[in-house]
Amino acid sequence: MSAQSTTPSSGVGRLEKFSYDDQIVRMFVIATIIWGAVALLLGVTIAFELASWKVNMGLQWITFGRLRPLHTNAAIFAFCGNAIFAGVYYSHQRLLKARLFSDALSRIHFWGWQLIIVSAALTLPFGFTTGKEYAELEWPIDIAITVIWVVFAVNFFGTIFRRRERHIYVAIWFYIATIITVAVLHIVNSLEIPVSLFKSYSLYAGVQDALVQWWYGHNAVAFFLTTPFLGLMYYFVPKAANRPVYSYRLSVIHFWSLVFIYIWAGPHHLLYTTLPEWAQTLGMAFSIALWAPSWGGMINGLMTLRGVWDKVRSEPVLKFMAMSLTFYGMSTFEGPLLSIKSVNAIAHFTDWIPGHVHSGTIGWNYMFISGMLFFLVPKLWNTKLFSKALATAQFWTATIGLVLYIISMWVAGITQSLMWRAIDANGKLVYPNFIETVVKIVPMYWVRAFGGTLVLVSFVLMMYNLFKTMKQGSIGSVEVYEAYSLNESSIEKNATPHRSLEGLPMIFAVLAFLAILVGSAIEIVPSLLSTNYITKLDVVKPYTPLELLGRDIYVREGCYLCHSQTIRPMVHEVLRYGKHSEAAEFVYDHPFQWGSKRTGPDLARVGGKYPNMWHYRHMINPRDVTPQSIMPIYKWLVEQKIDYASLPSKLSAMKALAVPYTDEQIKNGIELAQVQAKEITTDLMNQGVPAAVEDKELVALISYLQRLGKDYGSFKTNN
Amino acid sequence: MYTEILSRFDKPWLPILALFIFGICFTAYTYWTFKKSNKPVYDSVSMMPLEDGVKHE
Ligand code: HEC
Repeated sequence: MSAQSTTPSSGVGRLEKFSYDDQIVRMFVIATIIWGAVALLLGVTIAFELASWKVNMGLQWITFGRLRPLHTNAAIFAFCGNAIFAGVYYSHQRLLKARLFSDALSRIHFWGWQLIIVSAALTLPFGFTTGKEYAELEWPIDIAITVIWVVFAVNFFGTIFRRRERHIYVAIWFYIATIITVAVLHIVNSLEIPVSLFKSYSLYAGVQDALVQWWYGHNAVAFFLTTPFLGLMYYFVPKAANRPVYSYRLSVIHFWSLVFIYIWAGPHHLLYTTLPEWAQTLGMAFSIALWAPSWGGMINGLMTLRGVWDKVRSEPVLKFMAMSLTFYGMSTFEGPLLSIKSVNAIAHFTDWIPGHVHSGTIGWNYMFISGMLFFLVPKLWNTKLFSKALATAQFWTATIGLVLYIISMWVAGITQSLMWRAIDANGKLVYPNFIETVVKIVPMYWVRAFGGTLVLVSFVLMMYNLFKTMKQGSIGSVEVYEAYSLNESSIEKNATPHRSLEGLPMIFAVLAFLAILVGSAIEIVPSLLSTNYITKLDVVKPYTPLELLGRDIYVREGCYLCHSQTIRPMVHEVLRYGKHSEAAEFVYDHPFQWGSKRTGPDLARVGGKYPNMWHYRHMINPRDVTPQSIMPIYKWLVEQKIDYASLPSKLSAMKALAVPYTDEQIKNGIELAQVQAKEITTDLMNQGVPAAVEDKELVALISYLQRLGKDYGSFKTNN
Repeated sequence: MYTEILSRFDKPWLPILALFIFGICFTAYTYWTFKKSNKPVYDSVSMMPLEDGVKHE
């Protein structure tokens, strides 16, 4: 229903009637519940896949490397995304006393977003991926995301312009920062050159790609999983507690400090890599500084509950919100801790990190969303919550599951890290076989899978509770509200600069944009321009055509989700993997494949470490060569043919990215690749492998693995 | 030329500059926010989430 005006009156504007669009909120609520279940089910599946390699049943579509991106994308963008849209659309209208700008845009936003999620589900399991964590979706979907995000932004800012409330409440500032920053992050990180409909190469290579990717990755956590939720917190916690936020002024300080500081912290994902030292230091310093605004926000939220602690025990909404704030406090304490270089040296690449991430996503996001849904569903369906007892059961199941998850990952991470770094009196590794360190922590993988299952069970309880609530209630008729339109009389006289700013959304948005721009620019621009990281060493040559195809298979299978490709300058790493990595080694890596987790060993210098035959057997069944390995089998690689036809366009795309392929190489790419495949096949045939392997993907992958680290110092040169 | 300079840019002053910019901004918004005269306004603004609007009967 559109707004209609009645009594014009001087001074205060006209009295207008309007209604809120709650139907769109209901739609996003239902999508949140459905996708949440999917995301958690995927999470539990891959948790079991890590505990036992048999779980994927040898099927390529559900192997760990392909499902893991689907899990993270579903959890972040489908589950949390829909929850954000539901909460934002509900609170935005009410805080501004205005209906959303356009019903049509709201619907396009809703269906467009669901379509994006479905296309993610239809591409990632088939291996269509960019190979960049949390940004795996291929370029056509990236474009769709941009379009739908703009639709959201227009709808959002349009509503602000139609508002009947002069002041813009702090929750909306957080939403504004989210909308702007996510747009910037997504566009900058997704710049890629398309090779075909489902394949592209990142515009950046090596160190630069890593820096841009983790500036994105870290700030996706900041501006998708944190700022919008803090905005929602500033709305829903006071609402549920029926009292104003503890300190509104603190929320102002919280907002600016968080937005300003968060953007700098990305490089803490790249400590001890070949990223320039100054950028690492900057990332570490700002990460530690982040602790202050994060805790400011947490304290502000928890203190809002003072005086209603009795209700926290009995009311599901408050109970979940209090727990979520507690976990927010915990994970924002752990985050800065993990950014301290000496702690990071131990924790990075281990299971401690997934533990940390889940204390955020499950503890903070899922718990908060539960509280929000328990608030919204009874309101929107005009009824009471179906069962408080069920909500309490959900609360404890989720909490116990999460605690099991976190503790098992602490134990696994620290145990494995200590084993990796153990050196005896003779200066030799105590556990030279990587697999020894894996076997030790497999029991913890079972505990984690069990904890995850409990979280999934808790979610199912919530689904049941909410659907029962919806069923017993009804949507009811649309309620009509009235408020005065805005005119000059509502502008505050003699306001201080910040106070005036709070009534000027556009200038405010620009300033928020500047706040994130300063950090981004200082961090990224020098690296992008600096020749240091793009200096090409003569010894480092581009991949051969066959190796390039092999690399694409490596990306497709998500090997980077279990293997790193960067050796840190630490004694135990050099002993285990060979000499530490140099920036110049990665200049042709579009995208970089450094990874962030070592479920398996680093592969930066695996080239030449083993004979071809070893890789052949290992990929078909890892346990053939490494008893007790938990690496999945990749038997489809000996069944599927190498995609030679794609070579000319791939080589040309690489050339466009300044990889020095000659026209000759591009023209003869296919032949060159076939010659190299023949060499590898001959070697394999000598050891009894059937000739049919010659045109199969495994040969291309082996050529790539055998190349890794070769130019600059393979594993062998060191040991 | 620029790239040349940037490549040798050892940047110890960068974190310092960043901190400086942050310090100035922080002081400014903290000062304005905690200015005494703003208290009543912020107090009333903080009530915003508690009202859904006036229903038309
Ligand atoms: C679920 C995690 C996981 C995935 C996914 C995975 N690996 Fe592994 N990988 C391991 C583990 C664990 C080991 C150590 C035990 C072993 O040798 O099998 C390993 C070992 C290896 C080794 C031997 C390294 C060495 O120095 O001994 C190579 C090579 C390898 N993997 C290649 C790959 C490739 C290529 C892919 C993708 C097609 C892949 N891995 C996917 C877990 C994984």
